[in-house]
Order: sequence, then structure tokens, then C-alpha cells
Amino acid sequence: MDLSELERDNTGRCRLSSPVPAVCHKEPCVLGVDEAGRGPVLGPMVYAICYCPLSRLAKLKALKVADSKTLSESERERLFAKMKEDRDFVGWALDVLSPNLISTSMLGRVKYNLNSLSHDTAAGLVQYALDQGVKVTQVFVDTVGMPEKYQERLQQHFPGIEVTVKAKADALYPVVSAASICAKVARDQAVKNWQFVETLQDLDADYGSGYPNDPKTKAWLKKHVDPVFGFPQFVRFSWRTAQSILEKEAEGVTWEDSSTEDQEVPKRITSYFCPEGPRPRLPHRYFQERGLESATTL
Amino acid sequence: MDSGDEEASEKYRIHLRPATLRDAVPATLHLLPCEVLADRPAPVGRFFTPAIRQRPGALEVSFRGRILRGEEVVVPPSLAGYVMVMDEKAEVLAGLGKKQESRGSEKGDGEEEPQPLERDFDRFIRATASFARFHLWGLETVPGPDAKVRGALTWPSLAAAIHTQVPED
Repeated sequence: MDLSELERDNTGRCRLSSPVPAVCHKEPCVLGVDEAGRGPVLGPMVYAICYCPLSRLAKLKALKVADSKTLSESERERLFAKMKEDRDFVGWALDVLSPNLISTSMLGRVKYNLNSLSHDTAAGLVQYALDQGVKVTQVFVDTVGMPEKYQERLQQHFPGIEVTVKAKADALYPVVSAASICAKVARDQAVKNWQFVETLQDLDADYGSGYPNDPKTKAWLKKHVDPVFGFPQFVRFSWRTAQSILEKEAEGVTWEDSSTEDQEVPKRITSYFCPEGPRPRLPHRYFQERGLESATTL
Repeated sequence: MDSGDEEASEKYRIHLRPATLRDAVPATLHLLPCEVLADRPAPVGRFFTPAIRQRPGALEVSFRGRILRGEEVVVPPSLAGYVMVMDEKAEVLAGLGKKQESRGSEKGDGEEEPQPLERDFDRFIRATASFARFHLWGLETVPGPDAKVRGALTWPSLAAAIHTQVPED
């Protein structure tokens, strides 16, 4: 898989796709959506779609695609190569969301949580297939958690398409299995060839599975903390594991929108009826608006 | 400074090492919309600078997982920017004997009366870098023309104007 665009700039998101098979413009198609790398504290999350004409679904099934989690890395690579061979009827597209994009979305002033980010990315990919002229009639989506709401949302978004959101869809429907293989192959490759934006000293390439509960991953995180900058952008700062390591190992940081609630101590009601005493003389508004204070010591 | 500040300002008598102004090398500075609760060197060149991206309309970077959008601020032409550092007391003391001997020759203008240096009272500051522009970063949005620091940079010219002697008619 050619991820060179991602390797050039991995601070945002990156979309990759196969050419649309000619038959997918004419015949009604079934499309599967799945993701890889949702849970890890390291690396990108990849969303993928895979589609083929309903009439060729049996041929896709014959490839023996299965849930990517049940396959070994080499089996996934082999199946992805087979899908490439069948490019006359199988198409795919994926969206790589960089860990930096995930962190900055989740830690924004207005929080954009992982579920919403996932849903919007999935919907974006289905729309992308439609925009490319794929005649999508059925969509199958793998879900984690509550499938009903997600299905309702997607169904509203694509009223002309029959949407099915189901847990374990990656094991039940071959198109979703195929999508899960695309996503996993891309995620593995992206992690393996990650181009660190930062210049890191004695970088340890062994970060384990990337899951927060993996001792190797935790050790890697602890080793690569910088007291001021925290982690390299390869790390999802918004993960609790990352946050708690920062709390212990890095300097504190306060932002202009950091909560100030605990500073407001409620006053006794009687205090409102007493003279307040002399107020401290504040500098002129001109200085307050410019953040200027007179310096008495350096 | 104001007359009201006299007491506090007596804590130190600050001296500038003028030679350091001439030798100060230009530095790249970043003003962040947050406070790092520490005073220590940071590997800016390894972590921060390489992560800056030019996006349409703004520079973009992230710090601690939050997105910053920034722009360059040019120091007004009548001003010069310096990064100043105060010497440790030990450094002042070490140079105390020597400095006092050479003091007379170092001062050319002769406006200030030479006073003996006192160990707890006199401090030296010096420039470690100079700047004519710097990067100003806002949390998620470009700080823009209303940024406090842009306003602050207008104060010196206003101060000069209101303190200028008005010719009497």
C-alpha cells in the first residue's frame, strides 16, 4: 500500500483509494465500513470502506476474507494483495486520522469525541464513494457500543441506501471483513514506517502493541516523555494513560481555558451588606487591555 | 517608574552589561497561549519547530495535544527586542573586585556617579539573544490584530509622545 502521502505529512488526515472498478458505476453495490487502531494510545486510526457489486459478492466471499483480528499479519497482506488482483470488481478507500488530529480534536475548546469523529469519518467515506459514482445500495458498518443510534444517524444521512450497523459486522459480512483488512494493513504499515516529526534521541522502535495496557507500550511512553513538550505527536495526548504519565513526569501547563472554578470561594451572605474596604487601585484600562503591568523587580 | 514603586525597586540595583547588547545573536521566539509551570530549557528545535505547518491563512502547530494557530509579529521599527537574563548572585560576586577597578574606563558617558557595588543589592542583567520578530500563537485561533501583546507594543511610542516636553508658547 502506498502511504507516501501520509509519510510526507502525518500531522493531519490522509485519504487513499483504489480506482473505482467500471462495473461499480453500473451495478448496484454493497459497501462495508470498518476501522483499525481505535483503542491504541499510539499511532493513527484508520477507517476503511470496501465495495463490490452485489452480483460479485460470492466471488469476494470465495477469497475467504475474515475479520482482520482473526488473521495473521501475513494472511492479511496476502488477502489485501488478492483484492488488488480483483480490482476489476473490488474497490476500497481509506482515511488515516493521525494521532495529532485525534488529540487536537478531543482536547479542543469544544470537545469532539472519538465517537463523533469516527461516525463523521465513516459517513465521509461513504459519501466519497457516492461522489466517485459508485452505485451504493447497501451499507454494512461494524460498530462498537450502541449500534441503534449510529444506524439511525447514518440512515438519515443516506436516505436512499439500506444501512445496517451491527456489532461484529466484520465477522458477519465479507465486505466488512474486506474493509477491516484494508484498515488493518494500512494501520500496521503506518505504524511501522512512522516518520517522527520530532528529532528524538535514542528512539526505541519497540513500542509493543500500542494498547494502553501493554507494559511495553507504557514503558515506551515513560521513556519518551519530554518535561516541557510531553510526547512526540505519535502519541494520542487525549488518552488517559498518556495524561496520567504527563501528570507525573512532565511540567504542569495551564491554558487560558483551564477551569478556574475552584478559585471562586463562595462569600458569606452578610459580606454583601458590609462596606468592602478600600479596593486596590487598578491600573488604567489602557494597561489592563494590553496585559501591561509596571515592573518593580526583575 | 512611578514614585509609588520606589520601595520595591530598592530591592535590587540593576546594571546592564552593555557589551552583551552588541553581541546578542538573533533568536526565534514563540509566545504560547499557555503557561508552562517551570523555568527550564526546552528542546524547541527538536519538538516544536519541525512540527510547524503553513496552512492557508495561518501557521499551525500543536502543543501537548492542543492545536495552536499563529502568526508572525514584527517588533515596531523604533524598538529592539532582547532576551535578558539576570546573572546569578555568585557571578556578580565573582566579578565584584575586578569590575570595580575597570568600571571607570567602561563607562563612557559619565552621567551616572560611580558607586561601589554591594553584594546583595547589585545585580547584572545581560542580553542572551535579540529579536526583531517573533511567533505569536493562539489556542485554536490566530491571535489577530486585537492580541494583547500587539497592543502592548504600541505603549512605548505613546509613552514617548506623552512624556515629550511641550514647547511653551
